[in-house]
Amino acid sequence: MLKGFKTLVFILVVLLISTGMVFAGGAQEEAAGEGFIAAMATDVGGLGDKSFNDGSYQGLLDAQSDFGIEARVVESKQQTDYVPNLMGLAEDGAEVVFAVGFLMADAMIEAAQNAPDACFAGIDIWVDPSTAPDNVLGILFKEQESGYLAGVVAGLLTKQYASASTKLNDDNVVGMVLGMDIPPVERFQAGFYAGVKSVNPDCEVLSVVTGSFVDQAKGKEAALAMIEQGADFIFQIAGLTGIGAINAARESGILAIGVDVDQSGVAPATVLTSAVKGITSATYLTIKAVLDGEFVGGDNKVFGINEGATGLAPFHNFDSMVPAEVKAALEKAIADLKSGKIVAPATRAEAGYEG
Amino acid sequence: MGGFFSIFNEDLLVATIRLSTPITLAAVGATVCERAGIVNIAMEGIMIIGAFFAVVVAYYTGNPWLGLLGGVVAGALFSMIHAVATITFHLDHVVSGAVLNILSFGVVRYLMVIIYGHPGTTEPIAKGLAEYKFAVPLLSKIPVIGPAFFNQTPIVYLSFLTVIFFLIFLKKTKTGLHVRAAGEHPLALETIGVSVVKMRYLAVLVSGITSGLAGAYLSIENSVSFTEGMSNGRGFIALAANISGGWTAIGSWLASLFFGFADALQIRFQIFKVLPIPAEFFIIFPYVATVLVVAGLVRRSRPPKAVGMDFMIEREED
Repeated sequence: MLKGFKTLVFILVVLLISTGMVFAGGAQEEAAGEGFIAAMATDVGGLGDKSFNDGSYQGLLDAQSDFGIEARVVESKQQTDYVPNLMGLAEDGAEVVFAVGFLMADAMIEAAQNAPDACFAGIDIWVDPSTAPDNVLGILFKEQESGYLAGVVAGLLTKQYASASTKLNDDNVVGMVLGMDIPPVERFQAGFYAGVKSVNPDCEVLSVVTGSFVDQAKGKEAALAMIEQGADFIFQIAGLTGIGAINAARESGILAIGVDVDQSGVAPATVLTSAVKGITSATYLTIKAVLDGEFVGGDNKVFGINEGATGLAPFHNFDSMVPAEVKAALEKAIADLKSGKIVAPATRAEAGYEG
Repeated sequence: MGGFFSIFNEDLLVATIRLSTPITLAAVGATVCERAGIVNIAMEGIMIIGAFFAVVVAYYTGNPWLGLLGGVVAGALFSMIHAVATITFHLDHVVSGAVLNILSFGVVRYLMVIIYGHPGTTEPIAKGLAEYKFAVPLLSKIPVIGPAFFNQTPIVYLSFLTVIFFLIFLKKTKTGLHVRAAGEHPLALETIGVSVVKMRYLAVLVSGITSGLAGAYLSIENSVSFTEGMSNGRGFIALAANISGGWTAIGSWLASLFFGFADALQIRFQIFKVLPIPAEFFIIFPYVATVLVVAGLVRRSRPPKAVGMDFMIEREED
């Protein structure tokens, strides 16, 4: 009797503590402006991922300072939080709700059907135009364009211009560390491969899939295994797993390429550039469209280099190291992508890469 | 780049050690804990707590050695919740362990928001333990195994010492015998006047220390920052390594080494695209290989008799 009671008390205490922490850590609100509310639900990675969650939030904050709207954000602790979080934001009066991340696709559709008065926009989510409700918009990016440009730079520097830096070796090998093998990651990968091959057809392009977006140790091992094979560039497409990959490049004295946002800050003497994805501007522009009454749902909107949403981050410390010829080749590739003269492949199959 | 067989070199062994170190540490802790009769599935959570506090302490003091201490102390304290719950309050071991795993993620996210202002990944520490890598004179020159075992970073050496220490402790010392008795026949132990409760507390403490150390390895030695969820299931693999190692320190170590080896191998298989199959199959390879080897090799291993069983003595005042 006593034992059962003690057990019960223990469980209750722990539950109270843990739920308290979930709520305390779960919701952050930024109050400003009046009337219009733009909101977002993060994926389980949460704010602070220095990637797509932070990028979307920045778009909300930019819109807040420019248009005086109110920005709200709720973080998802687990996948079962998606629908309640999205619904909750719509019920609280948000005019536009962002679902951030590929994994939230089904949850966004479900929430949109239950809250027909709000607009829903999914970052990295493709919606089926034939079945999607009119109040949802899929926002996609041409990651392959950013990957392609990174590939051009890496492909030239790894062999032809390897004398530009002591961090580059004579081997004609570059590597990629992938998180999970999902479409946005594959687009980066296919584009990078095509970019490397466009300037350096003999280059060996290696890839390792780690299966996780949070496992630094795994990212490091994947990078080290490719560095053993002579890679002097590691392109990380693995979220926080990629922090470990950049760390491996730093310890081995080679170069890394960041992803999604400018990751120079992670290791300023190692990250040459980053293949960026303009989630911030896409979020901002979508809010603007809703405000202006120009939101068109039931379909997808693809942001690419002509919308200023894909490209490379600045070289920062490496600006003087990168030879003028490489910069010229990069400018040419940017111009060709913009004009449509080059179309970067979006899948491994299109790129002809076994990966 | 070299041909496929170029992967079978010293680097593969070095990678094996790096990948298996956190698993080894937690698995030896699990061995001691289970030999005393306490099931501990909370190593995953303890690892996360250890990893987080190692970074926090190293970040604020600028000293990774204090960070290591911070991780170990935090892991030890966190494990005491499990000890109090299961030994003093007689809670089911699996329930308490599961609760601790969930709790650890909540605690860490909460503290990250308070300390760093955001969840996700912490800012990097100035100096990690990897910078204290050192080669043991002479021994590191041994071909093949020299670089893997004797040119390593501090916590890797500590993991070797941990294995040796608990191998001797469980087999040769009186306290080790008492710990084992607490898991085999607690009543007999109590009858000769040794407190089962004390032995079990000690064993849980050991698992907390080693799992905290495993966490510190992940965050301040293998990396220089903490990422939420960075243990990524290693605590559970350690549990499996302990069982497949037949509840012995040396067995736990060998099973962890095998898992690390299989993992290092699958990464290299991916690089050389040895089979035209999706990458996910390579990722599951170490898990499948471990299960097969365990099923094949470990037939006669037997868990401690009283593992997971509650021990309560009716005293007169009750």
